[in-house]
Amino acid sequence: MHRELIHLTVNGERYEVAVPPQKLLLDVLREDLGLTGAKRGCDDSSCGACTVLVDGLPVLACAAIASCHQEAQITTVEGLAAGGELTPVQVAYGEAGGSQCGFCTPGFMMTIHALLAQNPNPSDAEIREALSSNLCRCTGYMQIYEAIRLAMKRAQQPAEARS
Amino acid sequence: MSTHSIIGKSIPLTDTPGKVTGLGIYANDIAVPGMLFGKILHSPHAHARIVRIDTSKAEAMPEVKAVATGRDTARPYGVLPIGHDENALAFDRARYIGDNIAAVAATSEEAAERAIELIEVEYEVLTAWTDPLVSMNAEKDWIHENRPHNIEKEYKHEFGNLEEGFAQAAFVREERYVAAEINHAAMEPHSTLAVWEPDGRITVHSSTQVPHYLHRTIADVLELPMSQVRVIKPMVGGGFGGKSEVIPLEVITPVLAKKARRPVKITYTREEVFYAHRGRPITIVDLKMGLTREGKISAVAARVIQDGGAFGGYGPVTVLYSGALLGALYDVRNLRFEGRRVLTNKPACGAMRGHGTVNVRFAFESLLDMLARDAQLDPAEVRRRNLLQAPCITVNGLRVTSYGLPECIEKAVERSGWREKNGKLPYGRGIGIACSHYVSGAANPIIRSNMPHTTVNMKIDRDAAVTVFTGASDIGQGSDTIQVQITAEVLGVRPERIKLVAADTELTPVDLGSYSSRVTFMAGNACLEAAKNMREQIFAAVAKKFGCAPEALEARHEEIFVKNDPAQRMPFDEAVVRAIDFHGTLVARGSYAPPEEARGGKFKGAGVGPSPSYSYGAQTAEVSVDPETGEVTIHRVVAAHDCGKALNPVSVDGQVIGSVYMGLGQAMQEQMEWNEGRLMNPSFLDYKIPTTLETPPIESIIVESEDPEGPFGAKEAGEGSLAAAIPAVANAIYDAVGVRITTLPLSREKILAAIREKRKREQAAGGSKKTGGAA
Amino acid sequence: MSLPALHVVRPKTVDEAVRVLAQHGPQAMILAGGTDLLPNLQMRLYAPQVLVALKEISGLRGARAAKDGALRIGALTTLSELLAEPVVRQKYAVLAKAAATVAGPLQRNMATLGGNLCLETRCRWYNQSHFWRQSLGGCLKKDGTVCHVAPGGKRCWAVWSGDTAPALLALDAEIEIAGPAGERRIPLESLYRNDGMNRIALQAGEILTAVLLPAAKAGWRGVYNKLRLRNSIDYPLAGVAVAMDVDGGGVCRDVRVAISAVNPAPLLVHQAGETLIGKKYSRELIERVAHAAIQRGKPLTTSGSTPVYRREMLELYTRRGLEEVWGGRTHSADRND
Repeated sequence: MHRELIHLTVNGERYEVAVPPQKLLLDVLREDLGLTGAKRGCDDSSCGACTVLVDGLPVLACAAIASCHQEAQITTVEGLAAGGELTPVQVAYGEAGGSQCGFCTPGFMMTIHALLAQNPNPSDAEIREALSSNLCRCTGYMQIYEAIRLAMKRAQQPAEARS
Repeated sequence: MSTHSIIGKSIPLTDTPGKVTGLGIYANDIAVPGMLFGKILHSPHAHARIVRIDTSKAEAMPEVKAVATGRDTARPYGVLPIGHDENALAFDRARYIGDNIAAVAATSEEAAERAIELIEVEYEVLTAWTDPLVSMNAEKDWIHENRPHNIEKEYKHEFGNLEEGFAQAAFVREERYVAAEINHAAMEPHSTLAVWEPDGRITVHSSTQVPHYLHRTIADVLELPMSQVRVIKPMVGGGFGGKSEVIPLEVITPVLAKKARRPVKITYTREEVFYAHRGRPITIVDLKMGLTREGKISAVAARVIQDGGAFGGYGPVTVLYSGALLGALYDVRNLRFEGRRVLTNKPACGAMRGHGTVNVRFAFESLLDMLARDAQLDPAEVRRRNLLQAPCITVNGLRVTSYGLPECIEKAVERSGWREKNGKLPYGRGIGIACSHYVSGAANPIIRSNMPHTTVNMKIDRDAAVTVFTGASDIGQGSDTIQVQITAEVLGVRPERIKLVAADTELTPVDLGSYSSRVTFMAGNACLEAAKNMREQIFAAVAKKFGCAPEALEARHEEIFVKNDPAQRMPFDEAVVRAIDFHGTLVARGSYAPPEEARGGKFKGAGVGPSPSYSYGAQTAEVSVDPETGEVTIHRVVAAHDCGKALNPVSVDGQVIGSVYMGLGQAMQEQMEWNEGRLMNPSFLDYKIPTTLETPPIESIIVESEDPEGPFGAKEAGEGSLAAAIPAVANAIYDAVGVRITTLPLSREKILAAIREKRKREQAAGGSKKTGGAA
Repeated sequence: MSLPALHVVRPKTVDEAVRVLAQHGPQAMILAGGTDLLPNLQMRLYAPQVLVALKEISGLRGARAAKDGALRIGALTTLSELLAEPVVRQKYAVLAKAAATVAGPLQRNMATLGGNLCLETRCRWYNQSHFWRQSLGGCLKKDGTVCHVAPGGKRCWAVWSGDTAPALLALDAEIEIAGPAGERRIPLESLYRNDGMNRIALQAGEILTAVLLPAAKAGWRGVYNKLRLRNSIDYPLAGVAVAMDVDGGGVCRDVRVAISAVNPAPLLVHQAGETLIGKKYSRELIERVAHAAIQRGKPLTTSGSTPVYRREMLELYTRRGLEEVWGGRTHSADRND
């Protein structure tokens, strides 16, 4: 199959890979870059498990062609915990029960981090709306909201009060 | 109040870091050198004889390294020993659209897809039986020759005296309820990687809830000794029953790997997941119930037909559960059950969360609600008047050891504002209540034997790290964490000290799998026993040093100390070293088998239903119904669940809320839509699992009845609350607009039609009670 | 599932894109946001040799005032960007409301306005995998000769499933099209052919580059009611856009009603104007327009739910839409919070 050399910037690192020009961003991330965090849960762009950030905006990596994203800054779930330290949302997710099977979690992580970056204090209704493209079959979403609220609360407290 | 350090604490699930960072590995995340990609050719016909398969063109492709057909999977299997009726690749006959006909392994997914297209199959089309009521009267083209008239199984059970029971009733009702077929829709599509090892062994990584059954089946179909087969369960992205029996790709992949002598991976598309199915069957329930003037259920008669699809699978168990769990929730003395499992030319149904009980519970709780109104009793009160007096043995032989239902009803009523709302909300708004229960594991194993249902091994070496080897399969429900908590509690150490090795048949002892809500109870008890054994060994060494009896010691906060002389204490690490100096590496073992008394009656079919313990739940739902559209808005669900003892409360809440969520999906919007055996909605766009925007606030209330046999008093939490969600909503809809919907899902179309019909009836009768002004 | 092998061209200018499209003719397809096209390609609904990805063309994003006072919105503006435009939210309510109902927030971050106006028509016998369709021998629209919705018929009823198109029809929007013969500007209404097979009247090599909202429609009251099972992700099962200009005395100065997801095209209900213009609020007149809507809408078994129910909701949503813009009554038909 015909391949093309493309450049991608993922989690701040520059990659050069030869892939078929039509290859989906999700498949390049998972198969060529070894970033298997983003998941494939459906085949019709309707579950959100593959969510990544493109220039800070959460999008579906299964509905994006990799070769069309060579100029973009791509962030995957692997890029969130910079230097290995979990983000407040990642920590709160564990405490509040945000993950059960965890398969949707990478997608939710991206949507939630993008939401809080854009709006640090979203209302409950805004949270529900922002998360409404991401399906979770385990949690019934309640403990995901719980985790977000917990992370928001901590973000509003001064750093020393947290430790 | 609690004397526990770690039990009862909401520690995060131990595998959370892997989940939130994306570094956790699921089956489809694994890639190994030389790996091939497998694809499966599916049948376009619902029922056809396979006359000829020509794979030569596919085989001629240089990228193709193996091709398999039914000849390579000729040994049939099935999850029940009585029902080995499946071939991973159809042997001579295709039995549903999507059935597996042939498979290829190639060097790329794209090449495998092309190769599949090159396989030529000649079919002779047979009559397709797609409607269970027609199928069960079929005179020819039976789906399995040894199942005349396509009837997989039939049971008839009668307990007490039905005639007398109905004679005592002041109110008798009989209704037909029909539930649509639904799918587990776990977020992770099934995936299997089979690695053919150079020494002739095979290692299979698979998204399974049942590594042990998979282990047996692969060995059997590939005709290898079990010792040459290793099954590893990586992280699993949800199961809900959809991965609780062997799924065709789990056999096809190792067959291809064996043929190609190379690693092969197959990952299902979402559509293929729907063809693998094993979800909740179309269920027709004819239910008759009598209620005395005092509100006591005097007799229950249920006739249940389940549309099982093309294979037996768990089917006989599903239908038996639907009868057996008519008992053990309320005090029912006169009970008749007739159950029939019918084969049809559709993907096989199987176990799904709340296995067998959910659709019957929808019928039961709906009909009980009607009878309560006949008797002019508060629906919550009727349920209170039919409580069991636990401990007891039910009329159908189920042993109830702990029973938190009264408290569940009380708490749900309290929290929901039931007394202020029931029957008092304005037209268009309503509240409903329903109860449900479930087993904490099956008391009888599928494969009859005296083997423990689960065993846990434990090891401590000089690093004082505790390694727990468990066969139990964490599929997201958190069972690994529970075993860590139990071990930490008993040994008095921090959870961080414990390393759990799970679900790898080469390293871990046999556990029957994650289904029927058995893991916390059974693996929990095994873990408890192993940890106690381990503690004994450590205490023996410490007692020698302190010159006390081992019984005088306690382990807590990383120390061992003398209970009534706490000044005598020793760090855990030091205690371990002392014990090792006596014995070498410390090893311990625990196992669990349900007690004889829990295993139920002796009649045919009595094996299904008995459990060492039952969970209980009561639930309220508050809804609005738009009388012009039939659209239902659920405002709030309150679910009280008796889990015996919450070993990890956040995790219990998550299980309860998740169960309710799944129940609401089935109640309102999920259904597999069939058209002549063709699934019309095999995708997440068209199979409508609820998004955040349809999911109401769900509040979980934990009730702790402390089961005498559960680990620290615990019993199941992950399934029991599902069933009540559906009738709670159905009953709330009745309270809101006065219509009874008896088929699932409770769709807008049906509700709107029912509202109109009711209005017509009332206009004809010249009066109305609760009818809205609108429209 | 992967995409079929093909070439991806990423032109930097509209001219370049037009050139590539013209050169490859029917072998080329336009890729904008990808949320419709890429799943369809994975299902092998098309077999193009070339995808012309418009993403890198500058100047096709964002909204600004055109010379004639119209609001010109670039076709590559994503639906999220559209929703973030204050002028859209403030002046063109029906568009903002419709755009907010398209799929879910992630899809709206990708989907473009131009793409939403050029969506493929949908049918449950068509939007299925290659295997699924093959097992049935295909359908009229793809690989077959039989329409499973209307067997015996020779017309494809695959349904128009966009939400912004009815809103824009209700605003008398125009579109700019660039092509080998230069630019042209046409009413949006004439883009749609009401044919499930051949849905839009774009010629070979043509690209929809912009949408123009006439200044005269700014400030009209507007509402969009959408029938769907889930409040996110789902395509419409029926949709009704209503826009009205009401004077201080409550008289309808002008009105548009457009329906979606019940025909192979989004359609204006022309009787709305004839019936309502110059009139004061009247329930009976509203009923008449609602009735006209179901004369115009022909829901079939192309979609979920039932044709009967979708037809009823079409009528009800028309009535509710008009009640809301004219009578000031609101219904929470589409949201449960």
